[in-house]
Amino acid sequence: MSESPQLTYGEIDRTVLDTLRPPTGGYWLVIMVLILGVLLGAACWVYQIFVGIGAGGQNIPVAWGTYLINFVFWVGIAHSGTLISAILYLFRAGWRNPIARAAETMTVFAVSIAGLFPFIHLGRIWIVYYMLPYPNQRYLWPNFQSPLVFDVVAISTYLTVSSLFWYTGLIPDLAAVRDKATGVRKKIFTILSLGWTGKHEQWRHYTRGYLFFAALATPLVVSVHSVVSWDFALSVVPGWHSTIFAPYFVAGAIHSGLAMVLTLMIPLRKIFRYERIVTMKILEAVAKTIIFTGLIVGYAYAVEYFLAWYSHNAVEMEAFRWRALGDYSLEFWIMVVCNSMVPLLFFFKRIRTSIPWLLGISILINVGMWYERFVIIVGSVAHGFIPHAWGLYRPSAIEFGIMLGAFSLFLLFFLLFLKHLPSISMTEMKETLDHGGDHGD
Amino acid sequence: MDRRTFLKIAGVSGLSFAASCTSQPEKTLYSLVQAPDDMVTGKATWYASTCRECPAGCGVLAKNREGRTIKVEGNPLHPINRGRLCMRGQAALQGIYNPDRIKTPLLKEAGKWRPVTYAEAEAILQAKAEAAVRNGKGRVRMLTEVVGESLLNLASQSLENWDSKGPVIFEPFGYEALKEANSQVFGLDGLPSYKMDEADFLISFGADFLETWLSPVEYARKFKDMHGLRGQNKSLYFHVSPYQSLTGANADFWFSCNPDSEHFIALGLLREGIRHGNGRFLPEKVLTAIDTVSSPYTREKVSELSSLPPELFEKLYIHLQLARKPLILGTSTSATGANNLQTNIAVNLLNLVFDPDLELIDFSNRHRVETADRRSTVLEFFTELKSGAANLLLLNNVNPAFALPPGSGVREALERDSLFVVSFSSFMDETTELADLILPVCLPLEAWDEYGGKAGIVSTLQPTMGSLTGAPNIGDVLLRAAFGPQRPVKNFQAYLFAQLTLRDAIRGKRDWLQTLQKGGLFQSRKQEGGLQVALADTFQSTITTPPTPKEKHLVFFAVPSIRFFDGRGANRPWLCEVPDTLTQVAWQTPVLMHPETLAARGLKQGDIVQIESRWGQLQMPVYETVGVHSKAAVVAIGQGHNAYGRYASGRGLNPIGLLSPELEPNSGGPFFAAGPIALKKTGRSIKLAHTDGSRDQHGRKIALSVQLKDLAHPEHHEGHGLGMWEFPLVLPLPEAYDRKTRDIYPPHQHEDYRWAMVVDMDKCIGCGACSVACYAENNVGVAGEARIIEGREMAWLQIQRYEDPKQREKITFLPMLCQHCCNAPCESVCPVYAPHHSKEGLNNQIYNRCIGTRFCSQDCPYKVRRFNWFVWQWPEPLNLQLNPDVTVRTKGVMEKCSFCIQRIKDAHNNAKNEGRKILDGEIQPACLQTCPTGAFTFGSLMDKESEVRKKVEDQRAYQVMGYLNTKPAVIYLKKVVQDI
Repeated sequence: MSESPQLTYGEIDRTVLDTLRPPTGGYWLVIMVLILGVLLGAACWVYQIFVGIGAGGQNIPVAWGTYLINFVFWVGIAHSGTLISAILYLFRAGWRNPIARAAETMTVFAVSIAGLFPFIHLGRIWIVYYMLPYPNQRYLWPNFQSPLVFDVVAISTYLTVSSLFWYTGLIPDLAAVRDKATGVRKKIFTILSLGWTGKHEQWRHYTRGYLFFAALATPLVVSVHSVVSWDFALSVVPGWHSTIFAPYFVAGAIHSGLAMVLTLMIPLRKIFRYERIVTMKILEAVAKTIIFTGLIVGYAYAVEYFLAWYSHNAVEMEAFRWRALGDYSLEFWIMVVCNSMVPLLFFFKRIRTSIPWLLGISILINVGMWYERFVIIVGSVAHGFIPHAWGLYRPSAIEFGIMLGAFSLFLLFFLLFLKHLPSISMTEMKETLDHGGDHGD
Repeated sequence: MDRRTFLKIAGVSGLSFAASCTSQPEKTLYSLVQAPDDMVTGKATWYASTCRECPAGCGVLAKNREGRTIKVEGNPLHPINRGRLCMRGQAALQGIYNPDRIKTPLLKEAGKWRPVTYAEAEAILQAKAEAAVRNGKGRVRMLTEVVGESLLNLASQSLENWDSKGPVIFEPFGYEALKEANSQVFGLDGLPSYKMDEADFLISFGADFLETWLSPVEYARKFKDMHGLRGQNKSLYFHVSPYQSLTGANADFWFSCNPDSEHFIALGLLREGIRHGNGRFLPEKVLTAIDTVSSPYTREKVSELSSLPPELFEKLYIHLQLARKPLILGTSTSATGANNLQTNIAVNLLNLVFDPDLELIDFSNRHRVETADRRSTVLEFFTELKSGAANLLLLNNVNPAFALPPGSGVREALERDSLFVVSFSSFMDETTELADLILPVCLPLEAWDEYGGKAGIVSTLQPTMGSLTGAPNIGDVLLRAAFGPQRPVKNFQAYLFAQLTLRDAIRGKRDWLQTLQKGGLFQSRKQEGGLQVALADTFQSTITTPPTPKEKHLVFFAVPSIRFFDGRGANRPWLCEVPDTLTQVAWQTPVLMHPETLAARGLKQGDIVQIESRWGQLQMPVYETVGVHSKAAVVAIGQGHNAYGRYASGRGLNPIGLLSPELEPNSGGPFFAAGPIALKKTGRSIKLAHTDGSRDQHGRKIALSVQLKDLAHPEHHEGHGLGMWEFPLVLPLPEAYDRKTRDIYPPHQHEDYRWAMVVDMDKCIGCGACSVACYAENNVGVAGEARIIEGREMAWLQIQRYEDPKQREKITFLPMLCQHCCNAPCESVCPVYAPHHSKEGLNNQIYNRCIGTRFCSQDCPYKVRRFNWFVWQWPEPLNLQLNPDVTVRTKGVMEKCSFCIQRIKDAHNNAKNEGRKILDGEIQPACLQTCPTGAFTFGSLMDKESEVRKKVEDQRAYQVMGYLNTKPAVIYLKKVVQDI
């Protein structure tokens, strides 16, 4: 953190609180466009509820389509937020401080978006409560053997913990906003900051609480995506039924999440003039981590092929042959190139310190990770055990509409967050100054 | 707001919210004000009748529930079908309940239809007839399909009463060549029945006896009696034809030959036979004559003419020579090419030479379809009409405007102003559109009638339900119109009684009632003596003037369809929806061509090609198959209507448009082939609505077969594993669980029964009757062409067809349905327990519990689960056919085969009422019930004496992908194949 000594508490406060000034017309225009996108997605969903799931492109054998692809994609995105805010906090990697707030926010919003997709996916959304263990006269409970019930538990836990963690971290900053705010904003922030006065006692509780939350959130990073991977690994489908799935999914999730952090932070840094806070060094650190996760993901791809070959199972071997050479080979190669080859470019310092490269590669990884979920979810069942039943799937316009709606909703949340809450943790930035440097350095 | 107001508002708004949120708004149950005495709500009444979907005349039992017929099944007493039905028979229901059925008579006025009452329509008919009679003799004509003797007599008497000639009987498939050949060789102008079951070797020169030929359900049974495995033995069946057909796909070997060259092969066989001393018991003159016609056809010549390699011809001959009781059948229902008559004559001679007793050809029990007039008579009939020879034409269930080639003059004849055309059809088909008055008569399942599919059989028809449209019986219409108030009998029912009494078939009312109850009188006639040779003088000249095979030209064949027959099935949604077994294409009509033919023209499957013959042109999608000769292009007849209701109109293509209106001069029969044809690429292509993903098993051992010679040597059987390891047959019973080696969870304990099914793949002929029966019984939704292309067909039972990758014309059929696994992958993944393992081992799907995650389908290795992507439509009154015992599934719900759980429950109730256990064989799922060859067996595995239990001991028994240890309760018996 070569630049941080030049910052003062006041500068940090000013830089961050400046971002909360009334937005320009351009901002509201973007918000309007995003709202329209959300409405379009909602309209598509309503249409699907009335017409039936056939409004999408799913069929037999590919009964899961973009809804579950997006579900896994967004859960994956969520992961690196917790990784950055919780795990790196526990490891005292100081470079995470400037980006932790945005990453944690991304987590909360991404989990919320992800949580929508299983609902959109359901054939009969109106009786979704059957999945909950509520008392009823039929003595019927959910099937706790089903990975989908694991999902319900895992995702709701994750959403709860990450939301609380996020909010806890926000409290001192909310108080800082309150102190500078006037009018209605003052009232709102007074309520939100829960009477924070900055007393020593509060700080003591706060730091303890934050630490415990970080410790609590840490296992969730591993568990949630492991559970999601069991949706697939616990079935018999060739291409899904594999023990590598849990670590493979966790690594993939972090990979995509880090890329999303870059995709969001780079414009943010530019727009809000955070260059001095979110320094190139921090971006570089993220890029280095991406190299690491990219290598794990690439290794997982290779191991899957090795296992298919080693099993000597005709079905397994054909599934993986077809994956690379069959109808969805383009999607497969997009996945391989974007996720495991392109990130290797970060080995070059010139590339990982160049903003356009960083942004471009991070977007490519996001695309690649979406296709990874496509290849796994669609590509496996499409070419299963019974050759007679093989079939292909293509998303319908309704599915694209809902996907667009989901992305719009995410960006809408994020943009609203940027203008209404401090997008960089002033507290943690000041801590860094106070400690006179980075623990990690 | 006080507390009371709040509670009131909350209560009312809560109630109104709850009331408006019902997913099924119509829940009204109506009861009859006065129920008939014999009607018990919830109990079915069964009426015996006769299927009239084709001229075979199978006996049916119609299941009537609360006043409407909801299912037809074969009549077990009936000698033709013995309780079985084909898919067309099953789909007869969709005729009565067809949404496009004409509900009231229509009169054409200035080109527009005006509804009239039945009384008015009959009055018009009577007036027109009287006017025609005043014009002179022979002014009233009638064209009818093949009908029963009584109705034919009545029609003849009516026409006689109108001073006119008897009706002309029109069947698009009239077997002219076969009749002519029989006439030339045996001196009998008719269609014998063939005792296929008594033969030990069968050759068919194209006869598609498993699909449409003469009496397909009967011959399917007899074929499997002969060709099915008996102990360690099995007879051989060879198919010689330029295209394979479903029947040929069931042969031990398909000898693919040039178009128009079958008779050379038959003559070559004759030559070899006579050279080796066969036929020496024949009269000298006959033998010499046969020798003379066959002697030019040496092996080399045959080979050259037919493109059949000499070694294959040799094999064909050797097996024929070795057979003790061979039976050789002629050409297909729609006949084949220009050599049709020659082939049939040569085939008759082959039977004569190789089986001098001719015991297998039974001219005593002839098929009723022989009464159809030859095509030459039908065309003359239209020529007469065209010349204005009549003023009134009656049409009974015929569609010549569709079934005759465009140059036949049907349209011109019917459009003549001086001719008043009355159609008795219930559907607006191409011919009915041209009529002046449509007087719909009741359909066979609503009618009194009598139809014996074979000589000696009296098979009765009675109304199986009340009339939906109030349409009268055609017999009554004729009686009233021709005889007026002075009619000899009150109505057609009385006429039938009188006729059958006259024929000495029944004696008295009581006998009549008993006959109706049984569905008819079923004494088949004893075969009278041996068949005599009566070679016509003309046979030599006929057989030696064969057409010359056209080198390098493509010949186009229009072949009958097992699904649509001559096209009359095309308005039944089930028949459109269930794919053709060989192509797995539904709703569409592709042209079948050999990969070489396609490669030479740069075409691929799905490309649209323009086919041009001398008589017409068609644009149709291409389907690639090795099941046709490289010089042939084959299209199924049946679709391509431009009328005939929403399911038929504008769907598929009608190949008859490419055919010649000319006739074969000797037999007076049509050509269902056209050659040479030109193929032109259009550059366009479509997606075929096929239900298969791959034709190949990819070495997965899904549909297994075993060589006959290896049957007794299990060590030679193909293993059940996937190459990784061999896996034993693991019955879905607790004793089959082995927690040391392969099971983690404890076994399911079953109460009293563990239902299971055995499917004998050696018996499955791929006819698809089971699939349609399942649609009918289980209210399975019809998805339609577009949805099938999307992969959303709903069939609970599919006939999968797999080609042998080494010999693609070798085909194995595998009926695939829910396997009711003991260790079901679907059950564990559902979050809400919608797939549920019953205490009798069934894998139940609880529809109202299902929330539609579709995880079960994803995890089902057999991919037998079907999802309700939409709310499927049963346009009224098709909904009246729905089985009230089976839930109609709504959108968002998964469904699948239930082993007909409603029938299992019914058996439970009966057994409980009678204080006993369910008997073995008491439960017949719909697929099993209708299977013409008896490929299915159903019962409880917990009963050590049950048929299923015995069959699973068979060495051929295996489970599809048993190595997954799902312990399926559907156990397959390997197909037994023979290499020649």
